Amino acid sequence: MSEKPILSVSHLKTYFDVTKGLFTKKQIVKAVDDVSFDIMPNETFGLVGESGCGKTTLGRTIVKLYEPTDGSITFEGQDIAKIKGAELKAYRKNMQMIFQDPYASLNPRMTVGEIIKEPMIIHNIYDTDAEREARVVELLKIVGLKPDHIRRYPAEFSGGQRQRIGIARALAVDPKFIVCDEPISALDVSIQAQVVNLLKNIQKELGLSYLFIAHDLSMVKHISDRIGVMYLGHMVEMGPGNDVYHRPLHPYTTALLSAIPIPDPDVAKAKSRIILEGEIPSPINPPAGCPFCTRCQKATERCHKEMPQPIQVGTRMVACHLYER
Amino acid sequence: MPLLDVKNLETVFTTDQGIVRAVRDVSFSLSEGEALGIVGESGSGKSQTMYSVIGLLAGNGRVESGDITFDGKDISPKNFKSQKEYEDVMKDIRGNTMGMIFQDPMTFLNPVLKIGTQLTEPILNHNKISMEDAKKRAIELMTLVGIPSPEKRIEQYPFEFSGGMRQRIVIAIALANNPKLVIADEPTTALDVTIQAQVLELIDELKNKSNSAVIMISHDLGVVAKLCDKIAIMYGGKIVEFGTDKDIFYDPKHPYTEGLLGCIANPEDDDEEELHPIAGSPPDLLNPPKGCPFVDRCDKAMNVCKNYPPKEIRFSDTHVSSCWLYDERVVAK
Repeated sequence: MSEKPILSVSHLKTYFDVTKGLFTKKQIVKAVDDVSFDIMPNETFGLVGESGCGKTTLGRTIVKLYEPTDGSITFEGQDIAKIKGAELKAYRKNMQMIFQDPYASLNPRMTVGEIIKEPMIIHNIYDTDAEREARVVELLKIVGLKPDHIRRYPAEFSGGQRQRIGIARALAVDPKFIVCDEPISALDVSIQAQVVNLLKNIQKELGLSYLFIAHDLSMVKHISDRIGVMYLGHMVEMGPGNDVYHRPLHPYTTALLSAIPIPDPDVAKAKSRIILEGEIPSPINPPAGCPFCTRCQKATERCHKEMPQPIQVGTRMVACHLYER
Repeated sequence: MPLLDVKNLETVFTTDQGIVRAVRDVSFSLSEGEALGIVGESGSGKSQTMYSVIGLLAGNGRVESGDITFDGKDISPKNFKSQKEYEDVMKDIRGNTMGMIFQDPMTFLNPVLKIGTQLTEPILNHNKISMEDAKKRAIELMTLVGIPSPEKRIEQYPFEFSGGMRQRIVIAIALANNPKLVIADEPTTALDVTIQAQVLELIDELKNKSNSAVIMISHDLGVVAKLCDKIAIMYGGKIVEFGTDKDIFYDPKHPYTEGLLGCIANPEDDDEEELHPIAGSPPDLLNPPKGCPFVDRCDKAMNVCKNYPPKEIRFSDTHVSSCWLYDERVVAK
């Protein structure tokens, strides 16, 4: 790949101060801790992990809804980690987000037309309202809604249709990159496939890049070119979707994959799962050494003491002592 | 004789907009030791079917007609003289021979009561037993569902438990009196995949140990594939297809079932180009369609589907489906 990445995240850290009271010890949640990855133009990068692993925080930091504590985010050659004001506004025109809950992310008192027009007004894209309106109609067609939906309110739509409105709003400013934060997890199975297909078609037509965040591994594998697996703020494995799925390297990826329910009774009933004992540790007091060592079946003494550094194994990045030579 | 037998169940809700026919002519039966999965989208009536059986419908809902027999007893609401009489009988059954597991453990558990109190409640209610013995039984149950150091944790409150652990408590409460039937309403939807795997494994293990029957309500065919031997597919308030797990997954006979299977990504398949979603959205049960409920979204729909409900067609001892495509009157043409 000689192409330059559209988005390059390097050693990104997002910490939250959760100290209660004045005189208590400082408590820091390391929601995203030293994460690096690149996303190429026209690529879909899938991000998976359990709740609390920091995947949503990472997505929101990239859109600059959260300030990064340390590290750099480079978008088309410009470091956006520290930008503010007009520069940030220009960045947001290229970087949009689709949210998880289509019920909470649309203002119930605005019509669909107003919702989709709002980003155009903020970014001064068109001169007249008629032009904006024409664009809204166009966008509604792209996402599979009808032009006469423009005067209706979100309450009149089903979950899948609302998510389409959210997608139209993200597309309103012609972004180059969209962060999709669990866009389908609130939807019914039959509707999920509609939205995934829509996202794929839009990508083909408009040449977008996606960061696709989800906990549903089978959907992520379906839509993504490359997958990153996060655990407790760290990227533990990253690589092409099929490789990660069929030959997982990190013990956590292996366990996560074996937990996917397979829609095939013979396979599902025969499949032995690697049942992970316990749950994700608190990010306030992460274990010393490898973040996964408390639940890992292959953990050695070294894992409890020393944090594994990411290493390249073939097409993949993995952070595990098992693969160090 | 089946453990649970439901015949021609009709449940309606009175709303400001009119009468919603949530469950329409649903029949199924279940024997001891069997696991039945009820699969459908939101609004398909899968939960309301079960709430009709256990008598926990919301205030504006009622069972209009139909027969429900459980464990040799007639528990159809219409056959009781008064609501009170019905409630008395159901109180004796719920939490005793019929255990329930709900979707969201945080709303199911009372946040201001200790886990111990909530676990011993069903034991004390249904057995003549001392507080001490009930507590012993509660600790036994917590060990059974895999909660570490139960003697200590029995004194804790729900907020001190994680999501997966809370769901284990809910399961322990459901199992308190060795129920003959456990009804699980989307028991893993609120949980992470890894925790979901733990909980499913636990339900499977307990089912095999105790020989109780399980009804699993879910929108996820993957979850059902792991656990159930029989599957009912519900759509628009009706069971459109019923069969063994193999019938449904390998030889589906209803376009909706085929559609559902087409829209899940199978991670084992690398070359899967595109998913095949079902276009449109589910029917409005305020005005249920005259004919087949799936007609508006079905790409094989014919004229007859619009106006006449399809009759049930039997493919084998275990496999039935309601679709005009297989009706001999249509096939003959």
